[in-house]
Amino acid sequence: MTEAASPLLDVRGVTVRFGGLVAINALDLAVREGEIFALVGPNGAGKTTLLNCISGFTAPSAGSLTFAGVDLLALGRHRRAALGIARTFQDVQLFASMTVLDNLLTAQHAHLRASFLTSLLPVGPAIAEDRRARAAARDLLERLGIARYADSIAGTLPFGAQKLVGVARALALRPRMVLLDEPAAGMPQAEVAAFAEALRRWRDELGLTFLLIEHNMELVQSVAERVCVLDYGRKLAEGAPAEALADPAVLEAYLGSAGGVAVKEGAHAEG
Amino acid sequence: MPTSQLSSAPPAPTASPASTPRGWRTLLVGRRLSLALAAGGLLLALLLPTIFDQIFGFAGGFQLHRITLIYIFALAAFAQNILTGYAAQPSLGNAAFFGLGGYLVAWLAGDLGQPFWVAILLAMVASALIGVVVGGPALRVSGAYLAIATLGLVFIAGSLFDFWDTTVGRMSYDINTLPGLLSDDHPLYFVVFVITLAVFGLGATLLRSRVGRAWVAIRESETAALAFGVNTTYYKLLAFIVSAALTGLAGALYAIWAQTANSSMSSVDETIIFLSMIVVGGLGSILGSVLGALFVGFLPLLLGQLPSPMTFGGFSIQVSTLTTGIYGLLLLLALIFFPAGLASARDYLRTLPGRLASRGGAA
Amino acid sequence: MQAFLQVTISGLVTGSLYGLLALGLVLIYRTTGVLNFAYSAISVFAAGFLYILLTGPRMNFWVALPLSLLFAAALGAVVERLFARPVLHAPVFTKAIATLALALVLATIEQAIWPQLAQTEHFPTPFEGAAINVGGVYVTVAALLALLVTAVVVAALTLFLGRTRLGIAMRASADNQAVAQLMGAPVSRIFLLTWSVASVVGALTAIMLAAQQRTINITYMDPVLILAFVAAVLGGLDSLPGALIGGVLVGLADNWLALGLAGHQLGPLDISAPGIRATIIFVAFILVLLLRPQGLLGKAELRRV
Repeated sequence: MTEAASPLLDVRGVTVRFGGLVAINALDLAVREGEIFALVGPNGAGKTTLLNCISGFTAPSAGSLTFAGVDLLALGRHRRAALGIARTFQDVQLFASMTVLDNLLTAQHAHLRASFLTSLLPVGPAIAEDRRARAAARDLLERLGIARYADSIAGTLPFGAQKLVGVARALALRPRMVLLDEPAAGMPQAEVAAFAEALRRWRDELGLTFLLIEHNMELVQSVAERVCVLDYGRKLAEGAPAEALADPAVLEAYLGSAGGVAVKEGAHAEG
Repeated sequence: MPTSQLSSAPPAPTASPASTPRGWRTLLVGRRLSLALAAGGLLLALLLPTIFDQIFGFAGGFQLHRITLIYIFALAAFAQNILTGYAAQPSLGNAAFFGLGGYLVAWLAGDLGQPFWVAILLAMVASALIGVVVGGPALRVSGAYLAIATLGLVFIAGSLFDFWDTTVGRMSYDINTLPGLLSDDHPLYFVVFVITLAVFGLGATLLRSRVGRAWVAIRESETAALAFGVNTTYYKLLAFIVSAALTGLAGALYAIWAQTANSSMSSVDETIIFLSMIVVGGLGSILGSVLGALFVGFLPLLLGQLPSPMTFGGFSIQVSTLTTGIYGLLLLLALIFFPAGLASARDYLRTLPGRLASRGGAA
Repeated sequence: MQAFLQVTISGLVTGSLYGLLALGLVLIYRTTGVLNFAYSAISVFAAGFLYILLTGPRMNFWVALPLSLLFAAALGAVVERLFARPVLHAPVFTKAIATLALALVLATIEQAIWPQLAQTEHFPTPFEGAAINVGGVYVTVAALLALLVTAVVVAALTLFLGRTRLGIAMRASADNQAVAQLMGAPVSRIFLLTWSVASVVGALTAIMLAAQQRTINITYMDPVLILAFVAAVLGGLDSLPGALIGGVLVGLADNWLALGLAGHQLGPLDISAPGIRATIIFVAFILVLLLRPQGLLGKAELRRV
């Protein structure tokens, strides 16, 4: 299979240092097109740091990052969205004073062609483009079941709704890969199963690849096809959730002894 | 397999959005009110010359001339607001372009004999070009550093204009060749009004577009803006250029209005006027730019109307010496009570019915 | 050489006064996030108070001086409570405009109660005109006092911020308000104190400057404030030593340029005008900022994602 031969996202030997601290240590990772891949590990394991390397907010001190055959490290931060990489943030970071609809329109920035002049004096194609973008955004909100928020100011929504809008904003980019940074944090346990179901559905319907950071093991177990466990920037185990999470090294890292994987909840700080 | 336990769950994402006012309330405070207000304002602006002639008689033209200045202020406020209120760049350098526009129009139209519309356009273009030259490096610094560095620009521009005046041996750069269209109070009023209206119309469209969304995205979260493909460097520079061009336009119109360009157009005082307007009116609000210009433009006029000296019993106050202080105090009060600007009063009105209805909840 | 030394000394003196004012600006900015454009008006208020005590009741200078510093401390506290506190949580920009408005109010009050200061008046001091001769270079007593006061203020502030509980709490609240509050630092009292201390520093600067030039009026501190802002930003807005160094650099540059440009013409242009000097200083200032966007001693801002 060619997909297995050339993964969508290829992380090779990535090392990140903050001063003397090694946040990620010579990490290799390959995410295949169309899979749901979870990255787990204790706080400070380097998960968000890896996401930031992919987004371009952190520069690795060694290694390479390739997305769909393109060398990411050669691209500016704002040029990665156009490749089809979208993400959510732990602290959501919506464009708070905009309406939800405008948040989704802003996410389409890389695909829209309107220039300064056609923005100043929209004619013909510019108007049509704007109309298409709005229709697409409303359509997506409909699909996610949050069409009623379309004209609300994003910053005034309850936290749970903001997280959902954050996902909608990422999907509005029409991405190939979505980086989800703790989407289930703060989500009522009752909704986790539904969210897992939705992730799979979006993957199938929209042809997406998900790279997921998550502490909620129920979500990871039910949705991820492969899991990579990180600890102190090193890969402890990788594979199907059942195997990877039962790996002795993983159990050691989490509990210091055998048992099950239980992860501390609520902390947001990340190396 | 044990799973994590949530200590506290936030409200479910099914909570309904803020309820929108309906019925007569919509009529009072909704979109139709905005439209009605806009239409009313437009009508008032068009009829103002006639009204002033009725009220003030001979002085009508003089009074109208002062109103024209408020439109020019509104243009400058809008320019500053695009840069500071929308793209979130706290630049204090716009007064440099205000002076540049004024001096260029005086030079091009007065000394070189170019038609005025050419001079005004060239003043805009030159401001935009210098905006590129200056803005590129300026945007390398941020926050308070950007503010003080760009204030330096104003000083440089001001002293260069002053230097030019002193060298040539004039007090200020007078414009003596104005055609009637630009020198008589009534036609000038309409010319400036039409230009202002056009700029606000085009600007409002721009701010609702992909470009405007990119600016607001930078303001709300530069990180997220980058992650969603906004070239923040380009859009900050673009805001700087647009703002410079519009301020150059405002400066050109000001010099025409005053029939002279003066180095005080590029001074700290002018910077203060621009900033007060957008902060009082509302950062990131088109309406705020207008309200700010009205506040800054009208208030000194109104205070100037106060009788002086004013007597309370046996106590007499020379009011005319206090107007600056009273103005400052009102500015301060406006900032304390409307920290988000006077334009936020509109949102206050809009949500008032809802809050009245739910009164008695949280005191 | 003699002239150069003379100019260098006066550059050091005016520079250290710019630096003092910059110190006050940095103190307030670091602790409360306010770019204080009312600082010149506050400083003039205290210097004007001293002038009135000296010329009205003809009070002894050394009695009147502490009184006017007390007045400055009280004024700073009043300004903080009445004007800075209500806009504490507003954006930096709004706070800056609020201080500009405050400056208008204060200037008007000064004008109303001391109408004579609308014109430039003579500012009498006991050491007026006194000077010592060091190897052919004259240094006025006022200049020596200015250097001494700067040294004392800097030493006192360093000790206070580094060694006392309140000072350490003040630094903590500058670094992180929310955390300082959680740790039990009396943030509200600290803000009050910051404004008071900064006002005293401003008053000292204004008084030393008036003693130096032997005149006073309502607006004489305004151009000084702008140069102090340049000095503060040059040094890095969060660095106290940086502010002082920035001030001295600006003072030296101004005086050296004055010496170098004096009497020179560039074609028909007279380039010794003060405006040209200011322009050169500002251009240099902007160039420095481009090379070091966080100022000479400022910490680079870390972006958190």
